Amino acid sequence: MLSLIVVLPFLSALLLAVVYLSNTKVKRYAFYTIVGVGVPAIMTLLSFMVGYQLLNGSDTIHHTLLQWIDIGNFNISIAFMADRLSVVMISFITFIGTLIHIYAAGYMKEDEAYGKFFAYFNLFMGSMLLLILADNPIMMFVGWELVGLSSYLLIGFYHQESDNITAANKAFILNRVGDFGFIMALALLFVNVGEGGFTFEAIAANISTIDPEMLSLIGILLFVGAMGKSAQIPLYVWLPDAMAGPTPVSALIHAATMVTAGVYMVARYSFVYVEIPDVGIFIASVGAASALFAAIIASYQSDIKKILAYSTMSQLGYMFIAVGLGAYSSGIFHVFTHAFFKALLFMGAGAVIIALHHEQNIFKMGGLKKHLKLVYITMSIATLAISGIPPFAGFFSKDAILVTAFASEHYIIWGVGTLTAMLTAFYMFRMLFTVFHSEQKENHEIHPVPNSMTQPLVILAFGSATAGFLGVNEAYGGSSAINTFLSLPDMKLHISHATEYMIGGLNVILGLLGMGLAYKLFAYNAQEAQENTIFKKFAINKFYIDEIYEFFIVKPLLGMSDLIEKVIDPKIFDGFINLNVWAYIRSAGLFAKLQNGKVRYYALYILAGVSAMSCYMLIKLGVM
Amino acid sequence: MLEISIFSILALFMIGGSIAMIINRQTVFSAFGFLVAMIGLAGIFALLNSQFLAIAQIMVSVGAVVVLSMLTILTVNANGKNLPDEPNKTKWIIFSSVLVTPFTILLYKTLTTLPDHFSTMETINSKVIGKELFSEWVLPFEILSILLLSAMVGAIVIARKSKRKQRRKS
Amino acid sequence: MTPNMFFLLASILFSIGLVGLVSRKNLFVLYMSIELMLSSVSLLLATLSKVLGDASGSVMALLMIGVIASEAAVFLAMIVHLYRENRTIDSESFHALSERENNA
Repeated sequence: MLSLIVVLPFLSALLLAVVYLSNTKVKRYAFYTIVGVGVPAIMTLLSFMVGYQLLNGSDTIHHTLLQWIDIGNFNISIAFMADRLSVVMISFITFIGTLIHIYAAGYMKEDEAYGKFFAYFNLFMGSMLLLILADNPIMMFVGWELVGLSSYLLIGFYHQESDNITAANKAFILNRVGDFGFIMALALLFVNVGEGGFTFEAIAANISTIDPEMLSLIGILLFVGAMGKSAQIPLYVWLPDAMAGPTPVSALIHAATMVTAGVYMVARYSFVYVEIPDVGIFIASVGAASALFAAIIASYQSDIKKILAYSTMSQLGYMFIAVGLGAYSSGIFHVFTHAFFKALLFMGAGAVIIALHHEQNIFKMGGLKKHLKLVYITMSIATLAISGIPPFAGFFSKDAILVTAFASEHYIIWGVGTLTAMLTAFYMFRMLFTVFHSEQKENHEIHPVPNSMTQPLVILAFGSATAGFLGVNEAYGGSSAINTFLSLPDMKLHISHATEYMIGGLNVILGLLGMGLAYKLFAYNAQEAQENTIFKKFAINKFYIDEIYEFFIVKPLLGMSDLIEKVIDPKIFDGFINLNVWAYIRSAGLFAKLQNGKVRYYALYILAGVSAMSCYMLIKLGVM
Repeated sequence: MLEISIFSILALFMIGGSIAMIINRQTVFSAFGFLVAMIGLAGIFALLNSQFLAIAQIMVSVGAVVVLSMLTILTVNANGKNLPDEPNKTKWIIFSSVLVTPFTILLYKTLTTLPDHFSTMETINSKVIGKELFSEWVLPFEILSILLLSAMVGAIVIARKSKRKQRRKS
Repeated sequence: MTPNMFFLLASILFSIGLVGLVSRKNLFVLYMSIELMLSSVSLLLATLSKVLGDASGSVMALLMIGVIASEAAVFLAMIVHLYRENRTIDSESFHALSERENNA
């Protein structure tokens, strides 16, 4: 059954692709929808069944599909493992994935390449599940790469515009840079502990045989891979550009699932990271910096999807703070809650965009509260959740992270996280108020939004509101159900309930403060940000990071390849070969002169041969 | 002592004649050189107590070969414009000499492995040669006569004027 | 008077004949060089017969003189014939048997 969860989406992708390619003109709307949405629905059911099995106390489920590589010590089989961590991940991924598939059926209805879209979408689902359910690091890496591929295909879906292709390339290339670190880490891991089998369980058993420096190196290199996949500093620049893809893509891949693969990876390798807490602090610092950085930029953006993209990067920073400081369960819990409200926000944004005929600038919207009531209500719930207002989901997960930071005495990280929480509330409400509350700038005709797009919003809103109750701390009367279920090697915290209440209260106050500030500035008359001060100029232009990369990295690389193509290749390599050719032709010419047809010369050559032989014999006889 | 000095003089004749033969441009002078060399050779045969051989050498090599060569040279009128132009003659001779030296040395070294004294038995004289010629070597002798006959016929056929063919055609 | 002197003389004569054969273009000189080589071999045979005390060497030398005579006849007849055809005694100008396309 486990293998079905992974294999089924791949098969359906293949089926959709074959049917689509057989005749791209025919619109087989019903067929594509049934296969494209039906398969994720089946997978959701299967995941819930597996989860139920594990809930009832069964052990980790293993299932081997087939043996792939078998060379000496290097035995990789296509095998799946469902332990508690995987099961939590696949449950919400398939559930939210199915909802987004239904949404996409409405969003992409008019599109020509509808079948191709669902083929790619199912390919993505299969790859993500392969990544999660993999039994050994190599299969996880195969899933990792396939997810990157699907992301590339889907970002560049509207391939008629060359900007979209550039964005897709950017995503893939930056991913690749991260994967370089990942591959190095896998290689080092294999070299050091590969003898006892190369599955996660085998590595975890042998992990103490590696000395700490090597382990730190492996940990850092694995995180480099996560930096690329989960858009942390410095490999984040692809995420805003990835918004060029269709909105369902942004919702599924760049909010709920693919970008969380990095966090999942750190949690999966928790047996490595518990041994190297210093690398963990490094990870947490990078996460904190990314969170703050993204929040500042998001406060000045005008495109609704880009605001949400930076918000994703910021929340991912929170997740890395958690797993970096050893609170793996809190990190996964935040992944879980974030998936709900971020998918909801993106889908709502998509609905707004469709309603206003593909307008994406929030300062050209306004006063949609009356026209898009359902969207407004669900998006408000999501915004409250992400700002950390209780009792919605975001409060509990974010609070768990910040409490961990405070309790382990990393006060700078805690401070940055708390400041970012206030900024999160500020920019999210800024967006909400500008789109729905402020006065209408331009008169738009509202395009009706189909039901297939609005109904999933309701379900997700329900999730955003209640999912938090799964991980309530003891301080608030809960039993940290999700933490105990996951049973990851979390750090033990010693913190009094009073301190917890204080931190929690501080978060709520800052959240309300942010909301109030946004209300005052944007609820009535929303103005686009002007480049008045230097700081604003920097922030609006995203701190010129793209330009810096272009200047320092891209241009030298292009210059070097230009140099090699124009100078080194023709002159040095071709020149060397041409030199050889010239030498051969010249010496051939010289040799040709020996054969001139005159017999006297040939007699001379015979004499020369005789002379040579005589010389040889004389030398052998010891005379000369 | 006497023998050595005679040998030296004869050897000088031979070598000098040979060198003159290959160096000279004029064909007649080459022929003269050849003549001197042959006479020297006859003298050396005599020094080796092969008197019959010496006389035969003079009769054939000098009397027949050299005379015939001179005749042909003068018939063909090989002087002046008729001579082939050999621009690099000296270079060729020097180069070939250099090439031939190892071979000569090898030859000499090989030959000196043979016993280094003349046989003391006085067994070579005309009587013995004649006996050998007609007892053990009679077959090669007869074949030699046939060879001479065919050589004569061949020479006549080759050197015949081919106008006869033209006359027959017309 | 040791045989070695005769051997040396024979070797030198042979090599002189070889040099002349390779270096000169004149047909007569070619012929006379060949004769010189044959004569050196005769000298060698005669010397050997004296060294070994066997008369066969001298007989062979005698027979060689006969061969020399017949060869002279044929060779000179050929020279005359060739001169009649081509009016030259340059050994490089005879290429009726060669396969060169441009008989330069």
